[in-house]
Amino acid sequence: MPAKPTTGIVTQDASTPWLTLKMREAMEAWLFIGPTLAGFLIFFIGPLIAVVWYSMTEWNLLAQQATFVGLDNYDDALFRNPDFWLVVRNSVIFALGLVPFNMALALALAISLSRRFVGVVFFRTVFFAPVVTSAVAWAIVWKFLLQGEAGFVNQMLAHIGINGPNWLREPDWAMAAVIVTRVIKMVGLNMILYIAALQAIPRDYEAAARLEGASNWQIFRLVIWPLLGPTTLVIMVITTIGSFKVFDHIYLMTGGGPENGTLVLAFYIYKQGFEFFDVGYASALAMIMFVIVMVLTLVQLALRRRDT
Amino acid sequence: MTSLTLAGIRKRFGKVDVIRGVDLRVADGEFVVFVGPSGCGKSTLLRMIAGLEDISEGELRIGDRIVNEVQPAKRGVAMVFQSYALYPHLTVRDNMGFGLKVRGVPPHERRQRVEAAAATLKLDALLQRFPRELSGGQRQRVAIGRAIVGEPDVFLFDEPLSNLDAELRVHMRSEIASLHKRLGNTMIYVTHDQIEAMTLADKIVVLRDGQVEQVGTPRQLYERPGNLFVAQFIGSPKMNILPIEAVAGKLPGQPKTASLVGVRPEDLELTEPGSGFVDARILISEYTGASSLLHVQLPSGQVFLVAHDGEAPPADTSVGLAVEPGRLHFFADSGRRAD
Repeated sequence: MPAKPTTGIVTQDASTPWLTLKMREAMEAWLFIGPTLAGFLIFFIGPLIAVVWYSMTEWNLLAQQATFVGLDNYDDALFRNPDFWLVVRNSVIFALGLVPFNMALALALAISLSRRFVGVVFFRTVFFAPVVTSAVAWAIVWKFLLQGEAGFVNQMLAHIGINGPNWLREPDWAMAAVIVTRVIKMVGLNMILYIAALQAIPRDYEAAARLEGASNWQIFRLVIWPLLGPTTLVIMVITTIGSFKVFDHIYLMTGGGPENGTLVLAFYIYKQGFEFFDVGYASALAMIMFVIVMVLTLVQLALRRRDT
Repeated sequence: MTSLTLAGIRKRFGKVDVIRGVDLRVADGEFVVFVGPSGCGKSTLLRMIAGLEDISEGELRIGDRIVNEVQPAKRGVAMVFQSYALYPHLTVRDNMGFGLKVRGVPPHERRQRVEAAAATLKLDALLQRFPRELSGGQRQRVAIGRAIVGEPDVFLFDEPLSNLDAELRVHMRSEIASLHKRLGNTMIYVTHDQIEAMTLADKIVVLRDGQVEQVGTPRQLYERPGNLFVAQFIGSPKMNILPIEAVAGKLPGQPKTASLVGVRPEDLELTEPGSGFVDARILISEYTGASSLLHVQLPSGQVFLVAHDGEAPPADTSVGLAVEPGRLHFFADSGRRAD
């Protein structure tokens, strides 16, 4: 049999794999993202759909019986239950107190600690440590510190002649106390984000502005602050969302009291679902909270886009 | 009068001496280039003149004033940065008018001055754009424009062309030269590129390890380098250096103290073996269009570069190297020029 002439070129039939390169690459990509995607669908999208469904049922956990009631739960929360608006008001006050205070303090700390000086790493660690401290331990310690006359804070104030209030038991002071202690706990995270953003700003901008006669305040206001815009937006969004989701801190420090003065939305949802076992109503409240947070986030994004 | 005088200027970062005693006088309207290898302190020296770095020791005068303790903005200097340092959130107009704004110049005057500078640099059409919408060359012009608007006495340029491609660099170089001609201000320009230094400068200051190696016109530095470092730093390709004992016989004009002889590649000519001042063998030739750069090996094993016009001889050809006597540079053991 005559030998086949060889050309030195490998024919496509002999070497073409089963799947094309593009298909193999796509398969590899799906294998990588598969586990995360599965987790996302099962533990996020699934419960989200379930909450939407539950929010339209009257489902009592104890009776194990669900009845479809349409938008009744929403109607109840928004138009018939005065507690709901009190809770929303408290959540808004908490957010309005916490977000600007947290951001201003984080920025001030970041500006101070983004310079090089002896001990800077120590101070950064000190301010970041509460972020990684157990929320339970933090709340319990502060609860002791803020006790009436026996509390450490009031004893210190007494030394300088100030008769401190019973911080967590007086309606006028409880909200301020939970805001301040929450800010001290979480400010380190935003501080680190601001430090990273400040260090990413080229030093030449500051040098150029200084050469042109700008004062420190002008350099901050006209150069640094606008360049921190994207970071500020991220911080504002995550801090706002976090402030609306606050639960453990309130649960442990005040239990929503005194006189429902610190009863915020996430804690109220918990009470409806797991103290009164009204899962349908709690789900409707959770959906309302979801919408509030989403709207706030979209507004912040829109404002940022307008600015740039 | 906006002359500059640097007297015994030193800069220390901790225990490290970065600038080690610089004495220099820059005349009014002069274009002075600081040149030197990376880390020689040229940018630090420029930033000290600008006031962005403290002066550890010595005296800096701008005009008749001692300005060691004067704020940067009050020294009458403007600086163009290597990175351009254009504020990314501001338009070209606002970038150029930034300095006037912070100094409280009224808006109508600000507008006039920005537009006048923009017209000078052909930036009129770009005033509403943001820096990210500009090419490298346009950004560079805006940075220069920002400096012009402030009407400074002295312009400082910190490697302003090093981020541009080769073609644009040549173009911007000529723009800066014509700007100097037009404005007549004192300009100090830092670069590590000796071609930029040679083409732009009225006077070049060669720096090494925080010290001035030589100050002179481009021609003085090229034709009479004061030491071995300057001889090899100025000129491209760099000067060939040979121990004097590697040459058979005494070279014309050879001083007693000379231990090294230098000759620029463009001053060497190929001759018949035995008829030059030294023999060599062609290793490789690099054709560059206008001429060829020959790598030749001497009997001592040392490799010389020869810039050769016309057809290059093939590799392994034995040749002689000849040079006009006046084109030889002699150096003593210390590296100083020997005359």
